[in-house]
Amino acid sequence: MSLPRGDLKAADWFAQVRSGEMDPDSEQSWLRWIKDDAHQRSLEDCELAWELAAELRNTPTLAALLAGADSLTARRRAAAARRTWRAPAWQLGIAASFIAVGAIAWLFLKGPATTEYRTAVGEQHTVLLPDGSSVVLNTDSLMRVALSKHLRHIELLRGEALFSVSHDPGRPFEVHALQGITTAVGTQFDVEITRAGAAVSVLEGTVTVGGGAAGTSAPAVAVAAGSGVGYTQEGAVSDLRPAEVNRIEGWRTQRMVFNDIPLASALEEYNRYTRTPIVLSSPALGSRRINGVFHIGDEAAFLSALDVGLHLKAAKGDAQTVLKPEAGYSP
Amino acid sequence: MKHDPTQVSASPGDASWDPIPTDPSHRAYVTMLFNRHRLALQRYLMRLVPPDDAAELVQESYYRLLRHGEMVRIDAMARSFLFQTATNLARDHHRRRASHRAALHVPIEDEEISEDHLGPDEQLAGEQTRALLERAIAELPQDTRTVFLLHRFRELTYPQIADVMSLSARTVARKMAEAIERLSAAVSGAT
Repeated sequence: MSLPRGDLKAADWFAQVRSGEMDPDSEQSWLRWIKDDAHQRSLEDCELAWELAAELRNTPTLAALLAGADSLTARRRAAAARRTWRAPAWQLGIAASFIAVGAIAWLFLKGPATTEYRTAVGEQHTVLLPDGSSVVLNTDSLMRVALSKHLRHIELLRGEALFSVSHDPGRPFEVHALQGITTAVGTQFDVEITRAGAAVSVLEGTVTVGGGAAGTSAPAVAVAAGSGVGYTQEGAVSDLRPAEVNRIEGWRTQRMVFNDIPLASALEEYNRYTRTPIVLSSPALGSRRINGVFHIGDEAAFLSALDVGLHLKAAKGDAQTVLKPEAGYSP
Repeated sequence: MKHDPTQVSASPGDASWDPIPTDPSHRAYVTMLFNRHRLALQRYLMRLVPPDDAAELVQESYYRLLRHGEMVRIDAMARSFLFQTATNLARDHHRRRASHRAALHVPIEDEEISEDHLGPDEQLAGEQTRALLERAIAELPQDTRTVFLLHRFRELTYPQIADVMSLSARTVARKMAEAIERLSAAVSGAT
């Protein structure tokens, strides 16, 4: 960069250092510049902004903005793929994630066919849709996507997904799960299929949730950011309740956040991510409370915390792990 | 590898405590770098953690760099690595504090925390700072914001961003500088 060196501000220096283009000459100018205490202080502000920005990665606002930036790289990648089969190494990672979820990339380029995405137990994947929306699929999930001119039709058949919907008033974004439909124009929300039905949490914007089955006469419910609803297998919608913000932020960062909940609920959540579930030797143990943050998939850490905190010993079998009270600590 | 906390008061250059086999030239470089930026680093850390903890983290950063092995010997880049290391240690520290308060302890791994997987307990930014920073990012001009997001969160280099956005690498650097200038203004009051 050939800016006049004497006039470089802290932000310019910061940007130049990040470019990786520092030679011994520019180092000398830098060393003179940094001697000034005011320069030092403004550089510290730059460093602070850079480091703290990292912590916003999973906020709804940043996720939406990132989805926008990603759609740009995805479009560019698709254009490059049409021109030539060779792709720079940095693009291969993005390409690989498409292949990993089983999507056949050229279907995107050929028309509004239905594309299927699935994740295995313990797996998570981010899917970039051609309309600029992005979907993060949680463990053991199955989703079908069909984008047409007037409708973005998503079917969640199993599991859970976090949707960051790009704004397009002319093309509603509909998520069908069981007998319910969540409709958005541009927003971020999570849909989870549970044993009892489905749960919707809205992180940004507003969606409507309604029963999709014929004969359901109840009007759709509007759900705003910070709120959520549940609906039954049959599509009967519950009252509004708080969105499950902590749980969703947790799974997005490969963590389970348990905040004073019954052990039975914690195990239900834990078992979503593993093929060898953890079960209790007696249902009565399930009412004990548990606190903590755990990495998804880190069974050893989870079991050791249960041992130390709740005095439960694990007996590992091929199909499941059974938790029993430690001798001397009765339930 | 964890060092004995009772030894934390050993000062840089103090050869009496050196459990780490270190290449003397690496050690000399780190010590010089450290002496040059120590005050700035301490001031920086005091904006993230309480003063006593900041002093401790300054020491820990020094040892971490000693253990790191080879590093780029260009002052500006080495400094940026030093500050990044210190920030990661501050996060680790923060998390340790938070998990002490929890009823069940999360075992702390020895490896550095990846900023990709920050839990709620590892955030160093307060509510207000987060809100200011978030708004500043959202209000960046679109191209500037895209450059920043791709570099910060997708780890694309300037030439890669230039390619994706059909800009020159110089323009990418200028937009990065603009983004950083605006974001630094947003955090400049933050302690």
